[in-house]
Amino acid sequence: MNLLWSILCALANVAIVLLVAPLFQGVLRKVTAVVQSRQGPPVQQPYLDLLKLLGKEDIESGESPVMQRFAAYLSLATVLTVACLVPMGFAAPMNSAGDVILLIYLLTLCGICTLLAGLAAGSTYSLMGISREMMTMIALEPLFAVAIIVGVIHTSSFRLDTVLNGSVYAHGGFPWSGLVMLLVMTLSFQAFVQRVPFDISEAETELMEGPLMEYSGPKLAVFKFAQMAKLVVHSALFVALFAPWGSGLAFPLGWLLFWAKVSALVLFVTLVAATHARFRIDQAIRYFAGLLVLALAALVLAGYGL
Amino acid sequence: MIAREKLMRLKEKFGPAILRADLPGAGRLFVFVEPAALKVICEFVFRDLDARYVTSVGADDRPFSGKFLVAHHFAFDAEHLLASIVTLVPADQPSVDSISAVVPAASWAEREMRDLVGIEPVGHRYLKRLVLPDGWPDGVHPLRKDVPWNSVPAGFDDEREFQFDEPPEGCTVVPFGPFHPTLDEPSHFRLYVEGEMVRGCEYRGFMAHRGIEKLAEASLTYNEIPVMAERICGICGCVHSVAYVQAVENAIAVRPPARAEFMRTIMLEIERLHSHLLWVGLACHIVGFDTLFMQSFRIREPVMWIAEKICGNRKTYGLCLVGGVRWDIGPELKIELGQVLDRLEAEWRAVVGAVSKDTNIQQRTRGVGVANPALVKNLGLLGPVARAAGVDIDCRRDHPYAAYDRIEFQVITAEGGDVWARLLVRMKEVFESIRIIRQCLTIMKEGPLQLTMADELPVGRFGLSSVEAPRGESHHFVITGENNRPRRWRVRAPTYQNLQGVPAMIKDQQLADMTISLGSIDPCFSCTDRLETIDLKSGAMKVWSQVELEKLARQKP
Repeated sequence: MNLLWSILCALANVAIVLLVAPLFQGVLRKVTAVVQSRQGPPVQQPYLDLLKLLGKEDIESGESPVMQRFAAYLSLATVLTVACLVPMGFAAPMNSAGDVILLIYLLTLCGICTLLAGLAAGSTYSLMGISREMMTMIALEPLFAVAIIVGVIHTSSFRLDTVLNGSVYAHGGFPWSGLVMLLVMTLSFQAFVQRVPFDISEAETELMEGPLMEYSGPKLAVFKFAQMAKLVVHSALFVALFAPWGSGLAFPLGWLLFWAKVSALVLFVTLVAATHARFRIDQAIRYFAGLLVLALAALVLAGYGL
Repeated sequence: MIAREKLMRLKEKFGPAILRADLPGAGRLFVFVEPAALKVICEFVFRDLDARYVTSVGADDRPFSGKFLVAHHFAFDAEHLLASIVTLVPADQPSVDSISAVVPAASWAEREMRDLVGIEPVGHRYLKRLVLPDGWPDGVHPLRKDVPWNSVPAGFDDEREFQFDEPPEGCTVVPFGPFHPTLDEPSHFRLYVEGEMVRGCEYRGFMAHRGIEKLAEASLTYNEIPVMAERICGICGCVHSVAYVQAVENAIAVRPPARAEFMRTIMLEIERLHSHLLWVGLACHIVGFDTLFMQSFRIREPVMWIAEKICGNRKTYGLCLVGGVRWDIGPELKIELGQVLDRLEAEWRAVVGAVSKDTNIQQRTRGVGVANPALVKNLGLLGPVARAAGVDIDCRRDHPYAAYDRIEFQVITAEGGDVWARLLVRMKEVFESIRIIRQCLTIMKEGPLQLTMADELPVGRFGLSSVEAPRGESHHFVITGENNRPRRWRVRAPTYQNLQGVPAMIKDQQLADMTISLGSIDPCFSCTDRLETIDLKSGAMKVWSQVELEKLARQKP
């Protein structure tokens, strides 16, 4: 019964992410349009875009079409698996199925999918895209891991429900390590969801979409869907780790509050993306390196119980 | 008189090599020299007299003088003089000493001369094709007078490909173009990349060569050419039509009525306004800042509308005739134009404020794509690229044309020579353009728009004209001719020189900076390729050749 219940809850999470991801994308595009003095597409446009792409002919192209297909599916599957592990207004559904170490692995797997996609295309531009993606991953992934590990140290637990509930502040009040990590994650969040100024590996005007250049039709739809879902899932993770307040409230309130917080985060991402120019890869890496130093300092602080 | 003084210096130094000279009025000098002395004279003019290289022209003059004509043009900007060093080359052996070793900026113009007129630049170090397509048969030179404008030479070799140089050791080749999202037109840069660093590149362009000069020399008439000239460029068309008519007017020594000159000035500045607004938008788009791209285009739109109200078109104004213009600005339009300028000025001030404070854009553009004054001199770089390097040149002030001699304006320069400096120069020039149009509207008086022209224009006269396009100097050269059309019309757009500077600007830079460096010169390029089709039924793949494609395209449906 318990197992069945958690599977049902996990499926509910997956369904919600799939349903709202295009909506968030639509809002993002609309807000961007307003900032740019444009009318912008209707909010439901991303749903229609995905439907259109899904209905197109499935063309096999690039160096290895099999890997290309695999990368697209793996990408969406990974994001949706993460969705099963993250609390979204309720407790984390698959709480007993894994721990935060699994979560860190899965987040890295998202980046690996982009690498596979670029390798499958095999053109100069996509290879340059993945070399940039790889550099970004090496500098970026430790940040999220450190944030989670700070929580683990504070709570002395690897359990999802314990760590993903504002564990960075678990010592009561606002410990320094938690605040530093909040700063680090806020400053790097744009990169986790691959938006301007950190859309370096796809940079349309430089690399012509980089790793995604050979994608079209249904496969492109799957990849795009994964990217939209990533925005929701990462926002949910961020909220769970750094803004847990109110998650204990009764059903409609706590749930509504959670989605309000996620929406606010998406709005933040949109505004930053609309008001910045793209970083160059070396500038981005230097920026991440600075954040990494801060994150390591937070880890040391957490070790001393601060 | 400056022209006479320069001529005296040349005569002093080279004496008998100077055959004759024409001083057809203020600001122009034509010196006819011995072919053997051409190189040393050009070196003296370029290095010792410190002239700026403008362009080189080759012409088939056999029907008239029995010889080929080669002219190298130089500008003495501070002294308001355009000079042309002309030589005649025997018809049986059309070759001339290359000056590209002493004047590196002449490299492309000499290659073009070799391709199109068949005059061999002896001693040129890089003699690959520039203009002609790779499969074009050897020995056919389309700008020679014995080649009809519509000739299709036999023996086009579909299989022949451009031979690129070997990449340096340790570098991979990144093909940039012929099609790329940041290139509006086809153009191919073969980049040699080490990691993320560009170590060098080779360029192959001219994929959309349209043979406009040949058409003008063979089948259009004097007053049809401005319409054609306007279609040379999709952004600065008016510049080309003004430059052409001015070259003809210069050759036959007439001056259009004052009101026509003011109209030309106004339309040229309207064109500069929309071109600069477009460029700032595109530059922001290239570095991923789409919000400013959208805002500049919003601000730009009213400029296009007012242009349409004045001459019936957003672009291609159809303004110029030899000896005048076709459109006028009435009192109502004058008020409306004033209002458009007021709004534009206020909105542009906001954009400039936002960009100047944006550290993000500065990070992406400072120290990027640097062209120092030495590079500007050697490669003849022009316009905002030169001014951003602190080289104070602007044809509107240096070689005044239209009504610019009656108008007060500032030539904007900056220091650093990087993309950021070019951005600053262009943003500030918008305010100067607004100032110029306002002055024109205040001081221009009622009067005729066109001269009454004599039926026949004199034959065999030379005319030079330089017009400051938004991207730099557009230079036109005309030799008047029979049948109501010029014998030779040579167009040198600013990108022709600025593009030659790009390889030096992107060397040892990040690949990510390539697009903005190229974009920063505001390039203006103007192919039939192969394409793959798959038969759905059999799954068979077929590669179409150019010949087959052409056949397919010409078939009646």
